[in-house]
Amino acid sequence: MLRNYVLTAWKVFMRRKLFTAISLLCIVITLVVLMVTAALLEAAVHPAGVEGRSDRFLQVYGIRSEGPGGHRMTTTLLGYKTIARYLKPLKTPERVAAITLPRQVSVYQAEHASEASLRNVDADYWKIMDFRLLAGRLPDADDDRTGRMVCVLNASTARRLFPGGAPVGQRIEVDGRTLQVIGVVEDAAHINAFADVWAPLATQPSTAYQNELRGNFAALLLARDPADLPAIQREVAHAATTFVSEDPRELPTTWFWADSKLDVYARVLLNNQGRPDSGAARLLALVGGAMLLFMLLPALNLVNLNMGRILERSAEIGVRKAFGATSRQLAAQLVVENVLLCAAGGLIGLACTALVLRWFEAAQLIPYLQVGVDFAVFGWGMLFALVFGLLSGVLPAWAMSRLDPVHALKGAA
Amino acid sequence: MIRLHDVSKTYRTDKIETLALKDIDLHVARGEFVAMMGPSGCGKSTLLNVIGLLDRPGQGSVEIGGKPVASYRDRDVARLRNRMFGFVFQSFHLIADLRVIDNVELPLLYRGGAGGGERRRLARAALERVGLGARMDHYPNQLSGGQQQRVAIARAIVGQPEVLLADEPTGNLDSRMGAEIMDLLLALNADGTTVVMVTHDEQEARRVGRIVRLFDGQLVEREHAHAA
Repeated sequence: MLRNYVLTAWKVFMRRKLFTAISLLCIVITLVVLMVTAALLEAAVHPAGVEGRSDRFLQVYGIRSEGPGGHRMTTTLLGYKTIARYLKPLKTPERVAAITLPRQVSVYQAEHASEASLRNVDADYWKIMDFRLLAGRLPDADDDRTGRMVCVLNASTARRLFPGGAPVGQRIEVDGRTLQVIGVVEDAAHINAFADVWAPLATQPSTAYQNELRGNFAALLLARDPADLPAIQREVAHAATTFVSEDPRELPTTWFWADSKLDVYARVLLNNQGRPDSGAARLLALVGGAMLLFMLLPALNLVNLNMGRILERSAEIGVRKAFGATSRQLAAQLVVENVLLCAAGGLIGLACTALVLRWFEAAQLIPYLQVGVDFAVFGWGMLFALVFGLLSGVLPAWAMSRLDPVHALKGAA
Repeated sequence: MIRLHDVSKTYRTDKIETLALKDIDLHVARGEFVAMMGPSGCGKSTLLNVIGLLDRPGQGSVEIGGKPVASYRDRDVARLRNRMFGFVFQSFHLIADLRVIDNVELPLLYRGGAGGGERRRLARAALERVGLGARMDHYPNQLSGGQQQRVAIARAIVGQPEVLLADEPTGNLDSRMGAEIMDLLLALNADGTTVVMVTHDEQEARRVGRIVRLFDGQLVEREHAHAA
């Protein structure tokens, strides 16, 4: 039976080539948008490469303190003092790294000024992240302890600052401080990795950061094993309860959470800094709902085209009913036809998605973005194609199965 | 074999109500060849559709093999159409995208049980029975009207149904081709297939066992003709 469904589908597709092409175009455009979105989300939430260990690290990005009755509230990034006092001493994590968020600074090299994104990090950062070292070495605990004025460049910045030359050992002026380049690493676009220049914490112009409970820092907590992550989360949540703010009477209650990458996005986007639940499930539901809504309009268009196709085939449907086809068999036939069309659209869409993502990388719309069609994106693509096929096929199939055979035979469906 | 009790059927649109059949009592016995005659719009095709379970009566009952079918579900009705009946339509209703052999296989496809090879063998045999064994790989539009109707008959008989329902099977054919189709139907009837045929042609009707005449949706005459 399935062979016959496929054979019939092929004949139907070939009978009206323009119709088939329009349907395919509609499917391909929809699926490409969805697959590109899925690929970008996949890269953001489940990054590989430089953040390949993200299955066993958590991050603390925000700190929220509230006054009695919730009348006063402050939500900021962490200060270094909070990390040093409350997170570094935790027992369950293997390592805790303190990192600043990247900030734009001026870089002078051989009297040429340019802008670069600088991130200050401690030595643990390099043990948690999995950067590929292209030249030189990475900063270590000794650099932190002795306050060496060193830095690491990414490959693009190294090429830009030292075209044709060897950057390691050279000196550049970053944010008013002269730093020696000790290493070059690959470009990376991920949330904890993105920067042009990395320098140890001690290279900052002032040591005031060491006394700040709130500031421009985040913490990365590496677990020995992914199974330790819940324990770390509990330990961090408990540490937050012992937090003493700058003004304990005005801001007696404080929360900070150790989150997975998805939780970080969800907590910020849904403003859930005051709750244990980041809202990741809700965020996923919202994203899923938005994708479904996005599919709905072209699906309705395809439903319309399919209804037209049914009217055209009403005599055939009448004949099939007359010779014993059940409503369910006829409905299955149209659903199979539609799912096949969508699967074909999905495969074409995958190829187009690969091209679009390659263009994204080449155009650097998102700096240092590295994203491609992997198995996960392929899986999402096929799932989208299936859902789209069912969405746009079930209603016409139901209408087809309800056709009265006598009227259908007269071609008056 | 087929019994209709007080069958009536009314078609309704927003403004018009048309009585298609009224108080029809009809019994078709196994092995009969019945011709249904009457003027256009008298309800012949509607009656044929009710007999073949393509249409449901508004009132009255239809019994097939002694069992009323009113309570049958879609799946049961489809199974009965598939196993009990073979349909031949005036305008052939072959599926243009499918080859002749694939068209003929269609009823077997919905029957289940027979594999692809077996279906092909039975379809080939049916086509040879109607004299089109050499046209299996043609498409319907590559055949003449008479040949297309032969394919339609092959499709109707491939599943060896007990009843062949033919709605003006010669209506779109010239007299020579029409006579060939009639010969074919008579031969099938001689082999034991019950045939119910709608026709406008008095000469054709005279060649079958029984004629029933309709007028304004009512049976007005039952007469036994002389088989040619």
